[in-house]
Amino acid sequence: MDLRKTHIYAFHEEHGNIVDFGGFAMPVWYEGVMAEHAAVRNSVGIFDTSHMGRSMAEGPDTLEFLNWMMTNDMSRLGQFDGLYTVMLNQEAGIIDDLILYKLGPERFFVVYNSGTREKDFAWFKEHVGGFDVELTDLSDDMAMMAVQGPKAVETVDEVTDEDVTGVRRFGIADVTVAGYPCFVTRTGYTGEDGFEVYVKDCPVRSPDKALEVWGALVEAGAKPCGLGARDSLRLEAGLNLSGQDIHEGINPLEAKLRWVVKFKKEGGFIGREALLRIREEGVERTQVGVGMVGRGIPRHGYEILDGSGEEVIGEVTSGGLAPSLGYGIALGYLPRGFSELGTPVMIRIRKRLAEGKIVKSHPFYDDSVYGWKRDS
Amino acid sequence: MEEGFVMSEEYEVPEGLHYTEEHEWARVLDDGTVLIGVTDYAQKQLHEIVYVELPEVGDVAERMGIVGALESVKAVSDMNSPVSGEFVEVNEELLDSPELVNESPYGDGWYAKLKPSDLDGDLARLMDAAAYREHLEHQEH
Repeated sequence: MDLRKTHIYAFHEEHGNIVDFGGFAMPVWYEGVMAEHAAVRNSVGIFDTSHMGRSMAEGPDTLEFLNWMMTNDMSRLGQFDGLYTVMLNQEAGIIDDLILYKLGPERFFVVYNSGTREKDFAWFKEHVGGFDVELTDLSDDMAMMAVQGPKAVETVDEVTDEDVTGVRRFGIADVTVAGYPCFVTRTGYTGEDGFEVYVKDCPVRSPDKALEVWGALVEAGAKPCGLGARDSLRLEAGLNLSGQDIHEGINPLEAKLRWVVKFKKEGGFIGREALLRIREEGVERTQVGVGMVGRGIPRHGYEILDGSGEEVIGEVTSGGLAPSLGYGIALGYLPRGFSELGTPVMIRIRKRLAEGKIVKSHPFYDDSVYGWKRDS
Repeated sequence: MEEGFVMSEEYEVPEGLHYTEEHEWARVLDDGTVLIGVTDYAQKQLHEIVYVELPEVGDVAERMGIVGALESVKAVSDMNSPVSGEFVEVNEELLDSPELVNESPYGDGWYAKLKPSDLDGDLARLMDAAAYREHLEHQEH
C-alpha cells in the first residue's frame, strides 16, 4: 500500500530519513535525533505535523455540541483562546486528546491526533445529529507545522506580518506567514514555547504555499526535526501519546487528567456517568513517571516490577532515553501505593532487572531550566 | 543491478571478516579468539547509538544467540553472537562511549571477544565479504 504523504513530503524526501508512521511517509530524522532534540530545547526547531487531524465546527449549537463531546468546558473560553481536553466513550475510556480553539461564538477549530483522525471525525459525525452544527474535516486542505523552542516565538514573528509575540498560551491568531493566510496557535508537543502554524486553503495535492511557509521558517533559523525528536521531546515533557499512553482502555482519572474533566458543567458530557461511578469506586492504578537509576533504557511494553523485583506491577506505555537528562525515563500505570515520588521500582530490560524510581513526570526535567516556564 | 551497486558503495564491508545475515561480523585473531561487532550497515541503520548492553565475561554464547543489544534514541537492535563460545573480554569503552560503534564499527567499536567452541562449524555458516555485499543488495534501503 502506498504511504500517505503530507504537504511537506517533497522536503522530507530530499532531506529526511523517511519511515512509515501509521500509514504516513514521515521523516524520523534529518540530521539526527540528538541534534534535533537539542535544537528544540536550546534554540528552535520545526516539525511537519500535517498528518494530524483538524476540523472546523460551525453553527448555532457548536458550543453545546462540543461541550457534550468533550470533558472540558468550552463555555468559559474567551474569543481566540483554546484549551486541552479529552473525548470519552460511554464507558469513560479516552478516545483521544484534543485542543479546541474558539474563533467565534459559533465557530471552533478542533485539532487532534493523526492515529485517531478518522475515528475522531467519525465519532463527531455519529453524535452531531440533533445539533445544528456543520463539521468540516480540513486535515487534507490545510497544512500544519510546529515551530518549537525558546527562540520559536521570535522566529515565527520574523516571517509574520502581524506581531505574534502577544498571542497568549493556547491562544489562536489569524495572521499572514510568508505572505499566506494562516492560523497560529501558541501550543506544541515538546514542553517548549512556540507556535503551531496552519496554512489555510492548501490542499495536499498542491502544497506550494505550505512548502514556502516551511522554507521561510527554516530560512529564519528553525531546524527541521523529525518524529524521533518529537517523541523524545514530548516524553521528557511528560505528554501523553494518544493510542499508547492514553486509549479507550484508560480513563482520565487513571491518566491523572482530572483537571480537564468538568463534572459540573451544564449539559454533561459523554462518559460522565461512567466516570462518576469510577470516581466513587476509586481507581486501582494511576499514571506514574519512572526515572532510571541504573543503566538501561525502558521501552514501550517492558514490565515494571516492585522494588524487590518479585512482582510485576505494570508495564511501560512510553519509554526512552531522555537526551536532556542523560538517563532513561518511562510512563506507565501502577497500582496505588507505588505513586509516591522516590518509590523504588524495577524494569525488566531483556533478561535483567534495571533499577528505577518514581519521579515527577510532567515534565520529567526541571522546568526552571527547560520548557516554556524556564527562567529566561 | 544499478541500485545494488550503489548500495555496496555506501557501506564499508572489509575483506577477511565473517558476516551474519543480521549484520554482525566476526574476526578470527591470531591467538584463536574471535572478536565480534556490528557492520557499517547496522550502525548506519541504527544511526546515533546511545546505549550498548554487553554480556559479562564468562557468559556463554550460542551461535546467533542474543547476547546483548545496541540502542538508538528510537530503536533497539539485538546483538547476536556470530559464533558460539565463552566471552573472554567485552568492550567496556562502549558503556561510556556508545558512539564508537558509529565512528568505527570494525575498529574501536568492537563489541566483545570470545573463546570459540566450534569455530570451524560456525565459520562455515557465515558469509564472506563478497556474499555479505550481495546480501546487502537485497536489504530494504
